[in-house]
Amino acid sequence: MKYALFLGCTAPTKARNYELSTRRIIETIGIELIDLNGFECCGFPVRSVHYESFVLMAARNLIAAEDAGLDICVLCSACTGTLVEVNRYLASNDKARQKVLSKLGKKDGKYGFAQNIKVKHLIRILHEDLGLEKINSKIKRKLSDITVAAHYGCHYLKPSAIYDNYEDPENPRSLDELIEVTGAKSIDYLEKEHCCGAGVLAINEDIALSMAEKKLDSVKASGADAIVLMCPFCGAMYDENQRRIETKFQKSYNLPVLYYPQLLGLALGVDQEPLGFRLNKVKPDSLLEKIG
Amino acid sequence: MSCILVVDDEPIVLNGCEATLTKTGYEVETALNAEEALEKIETGRYDTIVTDLKLPGLSGMQLLKIVKDREPETDIIMITGYATVQTAVEAMRLGAFDYISKPFTPDELRSVVGRAIERRRLLHEERLRATKNRVAFEYNMPADLYYLPEHSWVRVVTENTVDIGIDDVFQKTIGVITDIELPSKGTIVEQGNPCAEIYGVAGRVYKLLASVSGQIVEVNEVLKENSSLMNSDSYGEGWIAKIKASDLDKELGNLLSGDAMIQWWLRREIVERKTDRYVQISALDPNFKHEIAKEPGGENIKVCFGCGICTATCPVREIDSRYNPRKIVHMALLGMKERVLNSDFIWLCSTCYACTERCPQDVKFTNIINAIKNIAVKEGYIHPAFTAQVDLLAKHGRLYEIDEFDNRRREKIGLPKLWTGEGSTAKILEASGLQDILKEGTD
Repeated sequence: MKYALFLGCTAPTKARNYELSTRRIIETIGIELIDLNGFECCGFPVRSVHYESFVLMAARNLIAAEDAGLDICVLCSACTGTLVEVNRYLASNDKARQKVLSKLGKKDGKYGFAQNIKVKHLIRILHEDLGLEKINSKIKRKLSDITVAAHYGCHYLKPSAIYDNYEDPENPRSLDELIEVTGAKSIDYLEKEHCCGAGVLAINEDIALSMAEKKLDSVKASGADAIVLMCPFCGAMYDENQRRIETKFQKSYNLPVLYYPQLLGLALGVDQEPLGFRLNKVKPDSLLEKIG
Repeated sequence: MSCILVVDDEPIVLNGCEATLTKTGYEVETALNAEEALEKIETGRYDTIVTDLKLPGLSGMQLLKIVKDREPETDIIMITGYATVQTAVEAMRLGAFDYISKPFTPDELRSVVGRAIERRRLLHEERLRATKNRVAFEYNMPADLYYLPEHSWVRVVTENTVDIGIDDVFQKTIGVITDIELPSKGTIVEQGNPCAEIYGVAGRVYKLLASVSGQIVEVNEVLKENSSLMNSDSYGEGWIAKIKASDLDKELGNLLSGDAMIQWWLRREIVERKTDRYVQISALDPNFKHEIAKEPGGENIKVCFGCGICTATCPVREIDSRYNPRKIVHMALLGMKERVLNSDFIWLCSTCYACTERCPQDVKFTNIINAIKNIAVKEGYIHPAFTAQVDLLAKHGRLYEIDEFDNRRREKIGLPKLWTGEGSTAKILEASGLQDILKEGTD
């Protein structure tokens, strides 16, 4: 299994623990990730201001993968949504494809986009392409002493139409199942499907932090030992901004926020250091002690 | 401190008013005639002008017209010894805030001036709110009533019987009503003359002017026990009296209703520069919805039937009511192009797609709001956060710069060097024309 690794803007700068742990676990579970030159921003930040730029930026990345003959593995959910949407759009819309290729100085006929390459989030690759059984066969220790709250975020699941309705966005299961394969308990909680607020952070901090606060309240009330997630934007809201939210709303959470590969890495028997825990803003010491 | 100009040719009245208002805490200046008043207005700024209707030279009514032309936001209270309906209603139609009849007590003067000052304060607050939040409160005046503007209303019950009460603006400017001195049954009242006294906090007394002439046949005794009904339900349970009108057809003609009332308000709004709060047909663009539908993602706007599930499900709306997806679609369908594109709220979407998933009509609101924002950018409206993001993308190819120092740090923790790009994002942004659009927007 070989994919081009698409890191996007946020994971390699703000969520290096996510990137570190991903690179570490894929060695163990038998996935090869290739770093391609040619990948820049996916285009998501300009979606709402200029659709043509959005499509061109995404297409440029898709073309780089198609040139390399590789499907794409994405760490960020917003990047996933962007690349999946444009990949489908350009595969099915000849006129748009011709226009985009012409603007990017590429020959039409060579690129088929979704007809030739797939774009998937890391979690979906683990769940769908690798499968729970194979992951289970690699587990070295079950994390049965901990209970965690799965946070799916938005763009991993929605809009569901671009993902061919792989999961019900109102009742998703993939991350829960991937958590359970590690032996940890995935707990149900209120606001599970709620947005983290990162999409509005640059526009209105009060709204964004209030949205994150609601979820942190619910997770804390559920008794979970940690939040487990899969998107660096969500990570920025719950981990990087947790102290700010505590100060702003006069609350105390001290709730560790783990990227799924960090959790899986522990179950795979990987040492803590290469999983990047020291880069977590909310230190997961008590959680790690619990695991032993 | 609020500044009041009092204009009267009788020094005794002038001095009395000055003394009363100064003691109340206002800064007061006086003028013996309209010409002197106009000279003062040239150089000074007055919140309220209290002027006698009958003045030597230019009349009080002429002074009212001139001042309203020059300083439309100044409130003017007319003093008259001739409390006839013609003068009262005409003055109020021309924009006078209220009037008091000679002879008046210091309390009556304080009350009417206090109400004008309070109204200014409310308007000021409302404007501040409107600056931050364009969905500000609006006055709520039922369309089927007749009004003595900003004062009282009349509801025709039978051919010659009416109910009267206080209107929204009057009620909002006097604040909490603590009591009312109702007229007695059988009393004959005259349109434009006081018919009841309303008490506010701190013992303030406000005269309610009768909106029609006739005989009081019933009063709302409940108000004696529960005066707050005039605050909470001024057009319903808070009615004040039932009048057997003596000349209803003619007198209704002196009042405002329906379109005339709307025009009166619009004129008032225009002079007070608050037109943006009202939907005006001339400002609507019926093509706006078609324009949105042509944008990628905007195709389904016209199939919305306004069920509101988008709003109910929106996590941003839960926190900030300015962001209301159904209302935005409704405004777009109505053609409120300028107000939508110019608004702050269109930038508040968190792109969670909850509205899109739950919409029974497959409107795809997340895509609609993106289409609207795309149009806004072309029209020169862009949130500064996006301008900054586009700059970063053009410079670094990513939202965050990765330089050699960052790459060394990455290597130190076991991550490979990141490709630092070859400027392809900048080329794309140039080829797509986005940077030109943004440049035009800032020029």
